[in-house]
Amino acid sequence: MTTTTLTVPRSGRSRLTAHPRAIRDTRSAWLFIAPFGIFYLAFLLGPTIYMFIMSFFNTSTVRTGLGSFAGFANYAEMLTRADFWSSLWHTLQFTIYTTPPLVIIAFVFAVLTNRMRHAQWFYRLAFFLPFILPSATISLIWVFIFTPSTGLWALAQEALGMTPGSGVLSSPNTAMIGIAIATLWWTLGFNYVLYLAGLQEIPRELYEAAAVDGATPWQQIWSVTVPMLSRTTTLVLLLQIIASLKIFDQVYLMTGGGPGISTQVSLQLITGTAFTDNRVGAASAASVLLFIVIIVIAVIRQVADRAAARKEF
Amino acid sequence: MDQRPATLSRRGFLTAAMGAAAVPLLAGCSSPVSAGLFGTRLSPETLVYWNLFGGGDGTRMEAMEDGYRKIYGANSLQATTFAWGNPYYTKVTLATVGNRPPDVAVAHLTRAKPLWDGGLLEAITEADLAAVGLSTSDFNPRPWQAQITDGKNIAVPLDTHPLVMFFNTDVCKKAGLLDGSGNLVPLDDMDTFEAALAAISKVTGGPAMTIANVGGETATPWRVFWTFYNQHKGASPFLSDNGSRLTVDEDIFMDVNDRLQKWVKQGWVNKALDYATAESYLFTGKAGLYLEGEWEITTAQSVKGFEFGIVPLPTLYDTPASQADSHTFILPRKNRTDEQRLQAMKFIKAMLDQSMTWAKGGHVPAYLPVAESAEYKALEPQSRYASAAEHAVYDDAAWYGGSGSTFEGIVGAQLGLIQQLASTPKQALSAIKTQLRVYLNTPSPL
Amino acid sequence: MTTVTARRRTASPVSSAAPSRRPHRPVDSRTFNIVAAIVLVVFAIIWLIPSLFALKTSLTDNGVAATGASEILKNWNLTLYSYSTLLGQNDIWNWYTASAITSVITAALTVLFASMAAFALSRLRFRGSNLVLLLIILGIMIPTQVLIVPIFQLLNWMNLLNTYWSVIFPQVPAVIAVFIFKQFFDGIPRELEEAARIDGASQWRIYWSVIMPLSRPVIAAVTILTFVGVWNNLLLPLFVLSNPDLMTIPVGLATVQGSFGQRYADIQAGAILAALPLVILYLIFQRQIVEGVTGSGLKG
Repeated sequence: MTTTTLTVPRSGRSRLTAHPRAIRDTRSAWLFIAPFGIFYLAFLLGPTIYMFIMSFFNTSTVRTGLGSFAGFANYAEMLTRADFWSSLWHTLQFTIYTTPPLVIIAFVFAVLTNRMRHAQWFYRLAFFLPFILPSATISLIWVFIFTPSTGLWALAQEALGMTPGSGVLSSPNTAMIGIAIATLWWTLGFNYVLYLAGLQEIPRELYEAAAVDGATPWQQIWSVTVPMLSRTTTLVLLLQIIASLKIFDQVYLMTGGGPGISTQVSLQLITGTAFTDNRVGAASAASVLLFIVIIVIAVIRQVADRAAARKEF
Repeated sequence: MDQRPATLSRRGFLTAAMGAAAVPLLAGCSSPVSAGLFGTRLSPETLVYWNLFGGGDGTRMEAMEDGYRKIYGANSLQATTFAWGNPYYTKVTLATVGNRPPDVAVAHLTRAKPLWDGGLLEAITEADLAAVGLSTSDFNPRPWQAQITDGKNIAVPLDTHPLVMFFNTDVCKKAGLLDGSGNLVPLDDMDTFEAALAAISKVTGGPAMTIANVGGETATPWRVFWTFYNQHKGASPFLSDNGSRLTVDEDIFMDVNDRLQKWVKQGWVNKALDYATAESYLFTGKAGLYLEGEWEITTAQSVKGFEFGIVPLPTLYDTPASQADSHTFILPRKNRTDEQRLQAMKFIKAMLDQSMTWAKGGHVPAYLPVAESAEYKALEPQSRYASAAEHAVYDDAAWYGGSGSTFEGIVGAQLGLIQQLASTPKQALSAIKTQLRVYLNTPSPL
Repeated sequence: MTTVTARRRTASPVSSAAPSRRPHRPVDSRTFNIVAAIVLVVFAIIWLIPSLFALKTSLTDNGVAATGASEILKNWNLTLYSYSTLLGQNDIWNWYTASAITSVITAALTVLFASMAAFALSRLRFRGSNLVLLLIILGIMIPTQVLIVPIFQLLNWMNLLNTYWSVIFPQVPAVIAVFIFKQFFDGIPRELEEAARIDGASQWRIYWSVIMPLSRPVIAAVTILTFVGVWNNLLLPLFVLSNPDLMTIPVGLATVQGSFGQRYADIQAGAILAALPLVILYLIFQRQIVEGVTGSGLKG
């Protein structure tokens, strides 16, 4: 069995305080933890705290120091700023466009692949390979494919009898869809292999039992596969949502947030405010807001995972 | 774990392979590696120079960089080109903030001021200029005066690049708009101009004049608007007090944009074309006039059999004006030895000396020894529009303004929508106010 | 009739079959399988098309590539011009160097530090272990991208901007790695180290000579995952590295225009060169990569 979530400290540790070895162990334990701990404090916990602090000041990128105290002004600004909400909406839009296909299609492909007796390596290669490519690579590939009028996408549209428009990425209505398509191609592999791993865990006998009961392959999938994979699906879903909220790379590279700001996502607003407008304090406030949204979902995920784990035992 | 031997040999292979690959990499690229690991400077005799020139400008700048290398050696210069606009200025800012900026960089004059305000530039003293044989009198007073900030020289201008009007000789001839010597007749009157648009439209069967306004193009709509806005007498600045107040004259705003929409509705101006297509319309005779910066001269000249001319935008209102900016050289703030400073100045001088090459790309040189030379004055069609530089109007100073800035992006996008007839001037102005509100209300972080 | 839990159904000839992959399936299933295969093959080919098209474009002349996709598909005069141009310039080698150095060093540090911390959590009883465990759980939830702004400030304060370290250090504390190591260590039977402990071996000795050698699979997985993650990271190096000589490949490709302009074949070649080392790594270490991804996904 591959998955549990957390290994809760085993019972019996309450004996440790009295044990002489425990004290010796404490020292060496902290020595073992120290290197990682230093980096953790410096580059994970520290920045988180610093981000919270800076959000209350008018910190400037080009000036040293924290700048003047701003109280909640940065938060007020962000929460009343149209482009903050629109960037949040675009982030959400991206999440909505990509999550269902990335979950469902990955599931379908994994289920089908699992039934194949030959050449599974071929399917795995085809679907998973894009996942290891850098975002810069896939963005350049897809921007080229989406070239207005003469690109491969336009060619395909013509072949299917549609008239290509002015370019998928040039129109505010379709730009995010274009980014979603590229993302689907790019990251499907991740969910795909997760589902494959989950599928291989399902005992064959369950299918055989269902088959003997007269279930068609469709019904087998519906009655056996889907329920058995519900835990994986929840996991995939939540991972997908969290990853989508942190989106930056392909949007920045494919449209730069454009046309206009019609595809600008939250992280782009944050980095734009910090590094182009030179307003680190305001950017920190926006970061905190995004951070909170993501943490909430991450907590939901941990809770859901634990609940599912408990259910299994 | 019976897979251990296989894993081990694979890992061994990997380590060996990486080690083998690393050796030549480390040997051959010792400079970047030591710079990356230890923060050392890349080879001291190499000047690091950043610019944002792509396309035709990029090719010319590369020729000038080679000119520098001819004098000072093949390894004397490392030049890098970044994407035009905000990405470039963000890079320059962050590099300077991180204490590792280039030695010399290009900056639009309107973007140099915010950089100065942020403490990111070094002033260029009279001594610096004298050390390479330059002085104030060597420069066109208009851009030179424009760059002086807080009483200091913050940038050395290379050129002024105004918005100009290209015309297709063939089409305009057919529309009866050329005089005996093949030049465009004066159109400095609204009625005359509109009559000309009508005539050209008849010839092309489509638009008479193209202005790029889609596909992310926000600069051109802004430049066109700013030109016509400033041709009105008494036009107030769009932004005042370094960008904290919106002082655009709303009546003039409406006037200019209502007029533009009229032209579009008449079919005289395109509704929605991206940069490349707007230009190609002129080249292929689908339009007779094209409004863009003079830098497109290189592209125009490369089209076989295409005959064209360039003139300043006609004065349709009260006074002549052309939106323009100037490319300048700046010295980012960094620890320099006197020698390094001198080297940077020598680079600037070498570039100015090659202003003729740059001028062939359409720009109006700021360096007078070249601008006033017979060779430049004989250059066609540059000589026909050089006067536009005398009526150059720069963007208002603001911490979020200038060429390729957030301001230009926001306003330019709305102006583009007006041209597409997707927004009324009133709606657009309202949208501009809303989107600029944050910036107007925020004190400059610089 | 029991369903799920029944494991021995002697009535059915199927269940007595050995755990091979060739059970006897009714006819319905065969049709379904054929349809499934067709669908899968079609989509697998569709999925391969973008990469193949990019490859084809990169092997085409720039002029032809500029005219459009249909021309690219028709023209089969392959040329290595784009590759030789790019590889002949310094840029891409500098970028490879930066990517290689940052990826390798980060992977090494991550594996070392994370496994040490995991060892402590797994094998040692000490005060504060619950706190550490809590911080680990919290750490997994922290979205590191969102911290780009304070991390930039911090690196500036440390004067590390525009060095490889600015890319390496923030990526070292990969909490998921601690998790993966701990899970694995917990599964190693204690008997294996008991002998060493009885002999009085120090904790370090046990960690280095007993536990780590037994952990090769997970070391490989974490190494590769970290390597790929650092190689592909865009957001962090984009803002902390401004010197083009020091840029990692994704950043170099994304920001340096050079005079790329309309040289589409060159652009696609650059994209492929950026990914090439990873593709090679994938082809060699397929299983480890997939297992590592699966494992980290399921745990993280």
